[in-house]
Amino acid sequence: MHIDELERYWLIAVSVALGAFGAALLASVFIFRVQLPSPVARIDPAEINESAFAEPGLKDMGDNTYAALFVAQMWAFTPGEIRLPKGADVTFFVVSRDISHGFFIEQHNVNLMLLPGQIASATTRFNRPGTYRIICHEFCGPGHQNMVATIIVEDTEQSTAEEAAAE
Amino acid sequence: MQAVQPAPRRAPGISFPQLGMLTGERWLVGSHMVVALIALSFGLLLGPFQAFRRAPAFMEAFPQWEMPVFSYYYQALSIHGVMNALYFTTFFIVGFSYFVVQRSLERPLWNVRMAWVAFFSMFIGLGLVLYALLTNQASVLYTFYPPMIAHPSFYIGLVLLVVGTWLVTANILITYRGWRRDHPGERVPLAVYGTIANFVMWTVATVGVAIEILFMLLPASLGWIVNSDPQTARVLFWFFGHPLVYFWLLPAYVSWYTMLPKQTNSRLFSDPLGRIAFLMLMIFSVPVGVHHLFSDPGVSNVMKAVHTVFTFVVVIPSFLTAFNIGAVLERAGRQRGARSPLGWLARQDWGNPVVAAQISGMILFVAGGFSGLIHASLTLNIALHNTAWVVAHFHMTLAGAVILTFMSVLYWMIPLIRGRALWSRRAALAQVYTWLIGMLIFGHGMGAAGIAGSPRRTDMGAAAYVNPEAAFYLNSSAIGGLFLLISSILFFVNMIGTLAFSDQPVQEDAPIGTTGDPSSPLILERWGIWLGVILLLALFAWGPVLVEALDFVQGFTSPFYQPDIPVPLPFE
Repeated sequence: MHIDELERYWLIAVSVALGAFGAALLASVFIFRVQLPSPVARIDPAEINESAFAEPGLKDMGDNTYAALFVAQMWAFTPGEIRLPKGADVTFFVVSRDISHGFFIEQHNVNLMLLPGQIASATTRFNRPGTYRIICHEFCGPGHQNMVATIIVEDTEQSTAEEAAAE
Repeated sequence: MQAVQPAPRRAPGISFPQLGMLTGERWLVGSHMVVALIALSFGLLLGPFQAFRRAPAFMEAFPQWEMPVFSYYYQALSIHGVMNALYFTTFFIVGFSYFVVQRSLERPLWNVRMAWVAFFSMFIGLGLVLYALLTNQASVLYTFYPPMIAHPSFYIGLVLLVVGTWLVTANILITYRGWRRDHPGERVPLAVYGTIANFVMWTVATVGVAIEILFMLLPASLGWIVNSDPQTARVLFWFFGHPLVYFWLLPAYVSWYTMLPKQTNSRLFSDPLGRIAFLMLMIFSVPVGVHHLFSDPGVSNVMKAVHTVFTFVVVIPSFLTAFNIGAVLERAGRQRGARSPLGWLARQDWGNPVVAAQISGMILFVAGGFSGLIHASLTLNIALHNTAWVVAHFHMTLAGAVILTFMSVLYWMIPLIRGRALWSRRAALAQVYTWLIGMLIFGHGMGAAGIAGSPRRTDMGAAAYVNPEAAFYLNSSAIGGLFLLISSILFFVNMIGTLAFSDQPVQEDAPIGTTGDPSSPLILERWGIWLGVILLLALFAWGPVLVEALDFVQGFTSPFYQPDIPVPLPFE
């Protein structure tokens, strides 16, 4: 089959470009350590209350690392708010009690689908003080647009200074 | 003495009128196109109002404003998605494919009665789905993931749509087989090659969604089963979901490869490479669907990486197309007097709506293709999954390249069906350019809002939060929406005008080729081999994903829910 010379060059250029994109992807995974959600464990939605998710919230694991357990349901996250010190490394474990939800933390590369029957997990570090929303980004019925929770990252040095000033 | 070469045996074909249609053809193709337009009118006109509703400035100015007719945002969104993406596309593609196959092969369909059975199956399906949607009993969006459950008529309607298309596949393939028997050793015309590739791909892919509907959703909506597994359902849906988008794209490529050269007085650069592109799209559309599941908790990273690699492979046929069609347009531009190396880009037939619509679609497709490549890169997807970026992407591809090309087809085909010229070329041109500008503004706005973290499929007008970084872009998207609303109205006015009021004779003929390039390898038409390749790839790429999603110990454990009631079904 005849392939025009120009077209051959074009195909080579396209392959090189795609190869470069692929290399960038490999770099993002192996050098920059971007982690995708991957299977953790299953959980029967009916048994959430008999599991560690019976008491969702923040668990201090020491050394400024935390495990954050969240339960999603129509149309709220539990807990609705967590407070973290600056620089905290947090591993989120999230389950859905009823239907599919989403778990998207603004500006922090946490983007999970929450599917009933599955535990979803992601890890991130909160370097900048501020308030960040957790947004449900998967349609889950008429209350979907109100399904948000809040993460408040506190500047610990500043708050210690304020406490000292108050004394 | 001259040796007498026996002429290749050709069965006497039907001859089709160039500026009109045969009666049976007119009824069959025309019915599909008119129903497609009805579905499109539901889908298209609801779109811009969602952009308005998501714009903070608009909601500040009109705080009490709600979606017209369907005040519930997600109902309007469901209608927009299902009517545009599932019903308009399918009716259009089936009608278009019948037209292309009959005219290119110069023979009637194998079984016209079966074609009508397929039509009525899809048509009744449309009625059932519309009933569920319009009565707010199927506000589950066009992806209808369980455990959310809709009215049974929604699922029955979808089954009837899919079953109808399977009959279409059979009809087209048997028609082709008849042609092949009468024309041994000849190459099938490229348009028919692309059409066959499309329906083979579609038929393989729909098996996934058919299993999902028949074994999970429909029995659940009838109360026969109480549990499902959402991860398994998403795997089955996206086995179907990515070939679905190529099912929309391939007919547009058929128009670009086989009709645009005639419409621009140019000629196709390479027919064999067009076939390679169609073949690659057909094969590699299957092992890529997990790129919709990068954020899913129940799919392993290995399979996510495998599907990313294949996604990069399936980009290649589109780059092949860019070269091939680029060469078509270069020749066209040079014939129109372009001298400088890139002058041909400007010297196109911008005053012909049929050509302008396709080139505008290509412009949007450049943005669509690259935005897709970006969020198919598995780590970048973390920043973009389920944000407005995704909406931008498929409004560049489906609502850009595909629909503008389908509109281009309608601009010459509706006149052929009606036997009258297009009602207004000027309105058609205005429609094309308002669409192009509107969709560029909308796409840019939604893409930027997505990067800023604005979620898709969310009624921002009623949301508990407004993202200040996204606000500007959501507002600019609404301006894009305004252009698109004007464009949509122009389109329907022109269609109704052509069907009802035009009194000029048809001017544009059917751009159909009836021969295939004899230099293309015949192995490209060994469909059995390629089907085997697809099935092997499907097994390799999807087998592990499905096995991982299924819970062989506990089975299905997630009860179903109605979208608006946070209590599991069945109610006590």
